[in-house]
Amino acid sequence: MTRATVFLSMSLLLCGARGLRAQAASELLGQGVRAYQSLEYDAAAALLQQSLGRDATTGLADSLRARALTYLAATELFRQQRDSAVAAFRQLVMLNPRYRPDELIFPPQVTNLFQEVRKATRAIAVAVPPVTALRTRLERFTAGVLVSSLADVTVTLAREDGTPVRTLYEGPVADSLAVKWDGLTAAGTTADNGRYLLQVAPRTPTADGPRARQVVLEVKQELPDTLAWPPPLESPPLLPERTSTAPAFRSLAAGLVTAGAVVALPSIMARGKDATGARFAVGAAVGISGFVGFFARKPRPLEANVRANASQRDAWKKKLDAVKAENAARLRTMRLVVRAGPETVAERGSQ
Amino acid sequence: MKTIVLIGILALAASAVARAQGRPTLAFRGDAGFIWVRSDSAAAGVGGIGAVRLRGPVLGGEGRLVFNGFAVGVGLLSGTLQAADQGTMKRDLIEGRLVVAARPVPWLEMSVGPFVRAYVTDSVTERWVFWQARARVDAPIVTASLTSYLELWRALSSEVNLVAGAGRVQGGEAGVVYRPPQRPYWVRLAYRVDDAVVRAGGSETLEAVSLAIGVGSW
Repeated sequence: MTRATVFLSMSLLLCGARGLRAQAASELLGQGVRAYQSLEYDAAAALLQQSLGRDATTGLADSLRARALTYLAATELFRQQRDSAVAAFRQLVMLNPRYRPDELIFPPQVTNLFQEVRKATRAIAVAVPPVTALRTRLERFTAGVLVSSLADVTVTLAREDGTPVRTLYEGPVADSLAVKWDGLTAAGTTADNGRYLLQVAPRTPTADGPRARQVVLEVKQELPDTLAWPPPLESPPLLPERTSTAPAFRSLAAGLVTAGAVVALPSIMARGKDATGARFAVGAAVGISGFVGFFARKPRPLEANVRANASQRDAWKKKLDAVKAENAARLRTMRLVVRAGPETVAERGSQ
Repeated sequence: MKTIVLIGILALAASAVARAQGRPTLAFRGDAGFIWVRSDSAAAGVGGIGAVRLRGPVLGGEGRLVFNGFAVGVGLLSGTLQAADQGTMKRDLIEGRLVVAARPVPWLEMSVGPFVRAYVTDSVTERWVFWQARARVDAPIVTASLTSYLELWRALSSEVNLVAGAGRVQGGEAGVVYRPPQRPYWVRLAYRVDDAVVRAGGSETLEAVSLAIGVGSW
């Protein structure tokens, strides 16, 4: 048997066991409910407590857990165990502040006790979607804040290390509130990648007051496609803005070479003969004409080309500005993916 | 023989003129200059016996018939030279030339033709006759209006009526030509040197500075 087969078999056994245990918890709940309905309150209490005794991973789902707590509280009330009933209801309120026992199923003395406990137990809960994809500024991430009774709360977003990022809401919540976040920090910039804490806390914490609740949010930026920069202006299509220096230097060279030829002619054509100084005068005149040519043909601005290039540069700059603006707009509306972790009770010190 | 060659050249030039699609044009040039002659030929030369230096002003001119890159021209130059050392020696200088020229490319002119130079005194005339081959390169300094040029030549054959006989004859000229815009004339400043070797020893060297005014396309 290969190692992979062993691993697979063990995984299947483990999952099967978990399923059986979860099934057992719900089965116990069902048996407890039936015992309650048969007025066998002692048996019902035992079964329901067993169903609630499972750990979080293998036990009842929150909705079934709320049901089990409701039946347990009612059972305890009918067993004349009022304190136990109150404790069960308190757990229920803490679990889901918005939960209400069905008045068609439970008699008034049960629902009245629940209302009494609910008013006395101030609880806060946060409900967030597991994954939210939003475009910053344009779309919103929504967190539901639930309270058991009127509460003054602060909803904040902070980095995992506690650095405040933004306060999303401050004020009273009567029953529930949808808090929205557009993906920006308090400074108006897009939230960076990382882990954040969305925390709902009472504005004035007290020892017997509700505990703050928090959810870890994993935020990841997804960069939008941006436009490419326009290609830089080069020549061509830019026209030369000055005439070339080559003609000026050609003129100078022609003048100087000819002047040199004038001076050197006797040496070349009448070698060894004494020549007069006349050639220097002519050579100087020819050389000067070379300088005249140099200055006459020196580079000068080509106004028409300068104007044509200026309009090309303006058009290019406009195009560049348009791309910049478009890219800035696209970057402002960056896409964020927010993954929410489980809701937890915040540490006292972190409130 | 030379006469036959000359006739042949003229016949060729004439036929080229006849075949030319463009209309032939005339061009003229007038020169004013100053010439220095130095003769160190041992034989009786320009100034007689021994080294002699002469100088003096000259006037000249040349006319050309120009057509489709070819030209036929006739030139004449004349002046009186005096001894440079305050002597009383005087000589008349006369130069004449016939030239047939072609421009295979705009910046190059090749020409050939006979050239006659005579130093005349009351008693004797020293006469040189060359057949010259010339090459001239034009280099524009400022397009069409200011041009420099260099021209070199060498005698294909030379004769002189001296006992010593003629040897190698060569020379060159360089200068600058200015054509004022929208004007039909042009001005040229040039320096020329000619060196004629006498076979028995020594030579006659001629230098010239000239200012010329011309009309027409040269």
